[in-house]
Amino acid sequence: MTRYVMIADLRRCVGCQTCTAACRHANATPPGVQWRQVLDIESGEFPDVNRTFVPVGCQHCADPPCMHVCPSTATGQREDGLVTIDYDICIGCGYCAVACPYQARHIVHRAEFAYGKATQNENQRFDEKRISVATKCTFCKDRIDLAEETGQTPGVDPEVTPACVNSCIASALHFGDRDDPDSNVSVMLRETEHFRMHEELGTDPGFYYVVDDKK
Amino acid sequence: MAAEAKKVPVYCYQCVAGPDLLTVKVEDGVATEVEPNFKAADVHPGAGKVCVKAFGLVQKSYNPNRMKTPMKRTNPQKGREHDPGFVPISWDEALDIVADKLKEVQGKGLIDESGFPRVAASFGGGGTSTYYMGTFPAFMSAWGPVDLSFGSGQGVKCVHSEHLYGELWHRGFTVCSDTPNTKYILSFGMNVESSGGVAGVYRHANARVEQHAKRVQIEPHLSVTGGCSAEWVPIKPKTDAAFMYALINVMLHEAERNRLDVEFLRDHTASPYLVGPNGYYMRDPQSRKPLLWDTKRNQAVTFDTEDIVPALEGTFSVDGIEVGPDEEIWTHSGAEAETGFTKMLVHMTNYTPEWAAGVCDVPAETVRRIANEFLDHACVGETIEIDGETMPFRPVSVALGKTVNNGWGGYECCWARTMLAVLVGALEVPGGTLGTTVRLVRPATSRQASVSQGPDGFMVYPMNPTGKDDWQEQPRIRNAYNTLVPLSASSPWSPALGPTHLAWLFQREQPEHFPKTTRPDVWFVYRTNPAISQWDAPTVAETMADFPFTVCFAYTHDETNHMADVLLPECTDLEATQLIRIGGTKFQEQFWDYTGFALRQPAAKPPSDTKEFTDISTELCERLGLTEKYNAALNRGAGGVPLSGENYDFSLDPKVPHSSEEIWDASCKAASAEVSDGKEVHDLAWWKENGFMVKPYSRKHWYLFPTMRERGVRFELPYQEQLTRVGRELGNRLHEKGINWWDTQLEEYNPLPPWKDFPGIWEKATVNAGGSLEEMPFWLITAHSMQYSWGNNVGIQLINEVAKNVKGQNGVVINTGKARELGIADGDMVEVTSTLRSTEGKAILRQGIRPDTLLIIGQFEHWATPHAKDLKIPSMNTVTPMNMELTDATGSSADLVRVGLRRVGA
Repeated sequence: MTRYVMIADLRRCVGCQTCTAACRHANATPPGVQWRQVLDIESGEFPDVNRTFVPVGCQHCADPPCMHVCPSTATGQREDGLVTIDYDICIGCGYCAVACPYQARHIVHRAEFAYGKATQNENQRFDEKRISVATKCTFCKDRIDLAEETGQTPGVDPEVTPACVNSCIASALHFGDRDDPDSNVSVMLRETEHFRMHEELGTDPGFYYVVDDKK
Repeated sequence: MAAEAKKVPVYCYQCVAGPDLLTVKVEDGVATEVEPNFKAADVHPGAGKVCVKAFGLVQKSYNPNRMKTPMKRTNPQKGREHDPGFVPISWDEALDIVADKLKEVQGKGLIDESGFPRVAASFGGGGTSTYYMGTFPAFMSAWGPVDLSFGSGQGVKCVHSEHLYGELWHRGFTVCSDTPNTKYILSFGMNVESSGGVAGVYRHANARVEQHAKRVQIEPHLSVTGGCSAEWVPIKPKTDAAFMYALINVMLHEAERNRLDVEFLRDHTASPYLVGPNGYYMRDPQSRKPLLWDTKRNQAVTFDTEDIVPALEGTFSVDGIEVGPDEEIWTHSGAEAETGFTKMLVHMTNYTPEWAAGVCDVPAETVRRIANEFLDHACVGETIEIDGETMPFRPVSVALGKTVNNGWGGYECCWARTMLAVLVGALEVPGGTLGTTVRLVRPATSRQASVSQGPDGFMVYPMNPTGKDDWQEQPRIRNAYNTLVPLSASSPWSPALGPTHLAWLFQREQPEHFPKTTRPDVWFVYRTNPAISQWDAPTVAETMADFPFTVCFAYTHDETNHMADVLLPECTDLEATQLIRIGGTKFQEQFWDYTGFALRQPAAKPPSDTKEFTDISTELCERLGLTEKYNAALNRGAGGVPLSGENYDFSLDPKVPHSSEEIWDASCKAASAEVSDGKEVHDLAWWKENGFMVKPYSRKHWYLFPTMRERGVRFELPYQEQLTRVGRELGNRLHEKGINWWDTQLEEYNPLPPWKDFPGIWEKATVNAGGSLEEMPFWLITAHSMQYSWGNNVGIQLINEVAKNVKGQNGVVINTGKARELGIADGDMVEVTSTLRSTEGKAILRQGIRPDTLLIIGQFEHWATPHAKDLKIPSMNTVTPMNMELTDATGSSADLVRVGLRRVGA
């Protein structure tokens, strides 16, 4: 089996938002719709303060609440772990957006562009199907599907790796197959202390946060 | 991908931390997507990645607010309040207007009655704009003298003191840690996770995770870099020098001497040089060479005597002479002479951690612990072999951010930071503090080649002369760098390293006994916006409105080109052709294992009637009869690469104009020949396909120490004899002319800089300007933003959108507890007021800032630039005074001002 997961090494992330911008480019999302973004979180009180940068987005849960509440069956799940949305079926009701504990889903009801009217590059990439439906991080699934054809390895070969991972200037983001014990992500998970967000909710997220080397 | 899609390799050099190499996906002729150039992954020090700014370039091309054609002004009245009445014109008409004005200047003579060039030009971004202006440097070379005086923020927005002192002491125009080898970094406000570019971010992440290096971030607010550091020390603004002095005090007066690198100090620095009673080196009367005390012979000998073991410390009875300013000679017999090291030892005695605690608002035990951690990590005595060369291994370094590094206190911080490295032998060696580039000493292409031994045993430095016969009383340009700042030297970069704000200041206040300040007849502006980016920006905007003829290369309407007479919309980043040198060692963390060139090329057709900068330059030269000189400049290398070399010659026919395609084709061939020593020649078509070409570059060249050791050259530290002499001579020259308005600056020339109450200088300036410290209790500071960089992309929606994810970017950051005291809630509108004026923005409450400090990151109070003007971001530049009182001896000041704060709305 294959289970694609993402890892964010919080020791490396600097909150630069290069992944956010790269995702906006690769997936041609409209202004304000960030399938990937990095939170800037402060904790403690002056002068004992920490500042942490946390990449977030769809966690591609194994037990996704968004799918369970979807009345139209638009939200689905692939065998490789990716949580998907079929825009042809989605009715844009927003149940999924409410149910998602990670605030990973976005719905826009009218076409919006950076400067009001669509520019050439926006016209080139505009997809009417994305209006009034739920959208979210797909783990750049077209690239993963391409790997099936080319024999390349997602998370290793850039052409078949999610744009955010490709773009990360701190090498904080990693992607790969958790079910392959020799994969980059499996090795990393074996060697590090890590957590998953809201693990207590039982969603079995496919997104890990590394905080330290294994003790 | 669309029916027709390709990926076009280009570079991004929007900030000095680049260039980054990227590809642009072009679908059906439209640029749509930026990606790292994956082919550069093994070549580039940041694994070939590209920073967030480059992702704004697609929107930049298709921004509907772009200038769509050349324009001319129809309203002769200039100023913020006047509509320029720009009307579209053809390129021919635009270039004719500019050329006619330049012909007028040719007729009058290129230098005006005050001795200043009649043509001035301002370019933004620390030299980055050069790599977007095609062959315009060749146009300027063909033209003749151009005044680059009028700054757009230099002096406060750069690391000015480091540029000058760094270059003097270790060819470090910019200085950084040897991050790939570091174990411990003290960072005084150096926001490397924001300003260090891809290479910086990538390497520091490796340092944290793989090298387990510790970085202590010492700064008044918790920056992005602070957040990524092991420890944050919230120091009071402008007291960094005191902190560093206390570190030195612990190392000199508390630590065992053998914890320092005594051998390095003794054999590779000025520490053993003997200082006479008048404060100048004791010298041999005949040769005038400085003397040291040789412990083998037990006598004073010249520094270059063979087989000596100099005394590092002590006071000795010595015969000899001292040479003071203007050849004043003191002859001594049996004079008491102390080594430079002993002088420093005494000088630093009172700067204890307990003393610093009171100045810096940091506990003494923190200062003491950090000093000892620095020593613990210094690995004194260890060596490392790099490419066959054995060098000391000293994995500790000190980084300085801007404001720390600028204005009063900058000299002291630079001196102390470099001394911290010197004390443990960690200067220019693996793991330590390194210079990354030379810009003032020649040749600029190699730090190693710039090392030559001067008469005193130190590196030769081309100070602007201060002698009776050779002082340049007549400033070459309006900022008077050559007349007032000896350290700014005399390279093509020197005009930007002078006191650039003086050019603006003198337009309004004529200094006494100085050439009459004139306005430039023609002012060219490119990729800079001093009307909002210079300190006291509104005054600067008013000043430029008086300039008679301004030509702006224009992307959109903006605050500076609002005052222009002609607007020329050039093909921008993804639309034009140019070569850039990559690799070797360059600014910031740009240490590569390769060196070569990369190409920028038109990825897609520009959406408007824009023209390649190279063609603009060529056509202007044609109109002015400068074609032959212009082509000669291109052949010499003004386009970035000399067109002929030992084994190749692709020189252009000087007699006829050439197209952009022809010029860059010749440049590409020359670049590939240079990289391959003449073995390979690739034309423009090859470069368009491949994007870059490199050859290996040895890591040995990252470090200057081996060259210094080989050539027997010592680092000119700790004692600053030369600088002191130069400063006294400069004072003599100025006073002979009756000039007293530079006297405070002259006080900075000290052989060993004492701590001065640096915050007090700003407090005094506040009071002198009629302000009250009680009513203005806050220190207002700023910080770097990776997304906005220097702000020329604030009008790009995507950049603005993602920048908002980083807290503090678009408002006034206030300590949460302090804000509550003042009844200010997160998101409230607040007014920040200095003695100059006010700026308004949203309150952003954060714990990570001192209660006595406010932070405004964005410096973009745009009032003309589309999109940006609607963002309502406050700006320091509106409230930061620009005056002589806050100008230091190098001609810089700091982004620092005392302000009041009040809530003005929800």
